[in-house]
Amino acid sequence: MRLRLFLVEALRSIRSSMSISVAATVTVLNAIFILGIFIPVYLQVQSEVNRQREKLDIRVYIDDNATVAQVNGLRTIIASHPNTESFVYVSKQDALDQVSKQVDPEVLAELPANPLPASFEVKPKDPEKAGELIDAVTGNPALDTSGGDPITYGKETADKIIRAGNIIRYAGLGLLIVLMIASVLQIANTIRLSIFARRREVEVMKLVGATNWFIRWPFMIEGVICGVVGAVVSVLLLLAVKLAVVDTFFELSDSPFAGQDGATLSFPELALILVAAGAVVGALGGGITLRRFLRV
Amino acid sequence: MPRRTDAPSSASTARAAERAAERASRRPRGRPHVHGQARTLLRPGDGPMVVFDAVTKTYDETVVGLDDVSVSIDAGEFVFLVGQSGSGKSTFIRLITRELEPTGGRVMVGGRDLTQLQRKKVPYLRREIGCVFQDYKLLPNRTAFQNVAYALEVTGQSPRAIRRKVPEILNLVGLADKADRRPGEMSGGEQQRISIARAFVNHPALLIADEPTGNLDPETSIGIMQLLYRINRTGTTVIVATHDREIVDKMQMRVIALEGGRVARDQRQAGYALAD
Repeated sequence: MRLRLFLVEALRSIRSSMSISVAATVTVLNAIFILGIFIPVYLQVQSEVNRQREKLDIRVYIDDNATVAQVNGLRTIIASHPNTESFVYVSKQDALDQVSKQVDPEVLAELPANPLPASFEVKPKDPEKAGELIDAVTGNPALDTSGGDPITYGKETADKIIRAGNIIRYAGLGLLIVLMIASVLQIANTIRLSIFARRREVEVMKLVGATNWFIRWPFMIEGVICGVVGAVVSVLLLLAVKLAVVDTFFELSDSPFAGQDGATLSFPELALILVAAGAVVGALGGGITLRRFLRV
Repeated sequence: MPRRTDAPSSASTARAAERAAERASRRPRGRPHVHGQARTLLRPGDGPMVVFDAVTKTYDETVVGLDDVSVSIDAGEFVFLVGQSGSGKSTFIRLITRELEPTGGRVMVGGRDLTQLQRKKVPYLRREIGCVFQDYKLLPNRTAFQNVAYALEVTGQSPRAIRRKVPEILNLVGLADKADRRPGEMSGGEQQRISIARAFVNHPALLIADEPTGNLDPETSIGIMQLLYRINRTGTTVIVATHDREIVDKMQMRVIALEGGRVARDQRQAGYALAD
């Protein structure tokens, strides 16, 4: 391929229609900038939802009077259940220790005996199927039925988080797709404008016997140049926003996101994705929109 | 890297002109050889260069471009295609370059049936046909040199070959000193010469011109026609569509007259109008 020739042609046409090239570049810049904000926010929310889901433990309280055999039986059921990710045994003393961190020890000292039951803390593999695990242990003789429900699980909270997570995931994905399509259309439109302005030129090229690809390559390279320049500038803007706003915000606040920044996608990775997206969008915009002008 | 566009010195200009003329005169009639590219599409052999066989072209039910036209043009001929606007001259020309396809009949160019030509081969057909237009159709943001060079770049010729051939052909059309001018900085006649240079730089077997003097004054027109005649003398078949009565009368070449899409007259060594 005569890359150098095509490159020269592409640069020539950028120079000769500077204003349209700038318009196309700015269009890419806009789209990529929005994408660059949207992607990390989406991933961050997603990972936060996952983190919340992971916190949802099932707690199974054990009757003080249960025999060792009964407790071991319960342990076996939990340990062998397919939906058990991990579990810990919390003895009566452990439970008291946990509470004593939050409550004034003097109050606890007043108690005649440790009122807290021992328990298993079970982390389910799939929070959405926590019900199966709960069903498996319901009615077990080792359960503490003295006070209230022997099995607790933040079901309502869990359902809310799961639903919210799903909504965010699908709505976000939908929004991302719409945003991408809108960007491609907008860029294609700008490039169509540029090609329309030069349709006479394309006509002349065809008349002297240029093949479609010979005409198309410089336009695609031009699209890639506009796309990459737009993407690089928007990455620089994003970097500025990150340094000036996001990083400062995390430093100053106790946000639960603090210290997690970049956990899902590092900035260089994001930048690479955005620049690649700019290049692809530019090439497609230049190559596809040219098609209808090539039928001379 | 900028293309080398500096005009050669006057001494080398003169030498290049000589060389160009020599080259042109040595070229065998009808089948000029082109360096770096094998001609494969057009093989007229001893047969005619252009054949219209009962060609009809209707644009829609009412507008008729050509109506049952049968014409044969031999390799090496110089032919005027005359007629009023709307007589079918442009349709005739555009059928040869395959910008249009006939509604009926066959168009043969260089022994090849264009109705059978694959769409992807059309660019290769056009490389073997030089085209000159009334409005020159030069690329406005390129210099004269670059405009001519484009026709060579399209065929994949090396930068070296381009640097050699373009000044040669600019000499031939007498504009070696205007190589760096853009179309907007040249007169109509100069632009048309550049357009002819571009059409001829590949040394096509066939050169067609659609109203090449339509926008030019009579004196400039004569110069353009002389240039086309010189190109014809190198063996290239030349077809000129025109309604420039004076020039047609003066040159006394074969004249094909179209009227309402039909051949009204096909006469050798004739004038614009029928001589009684």
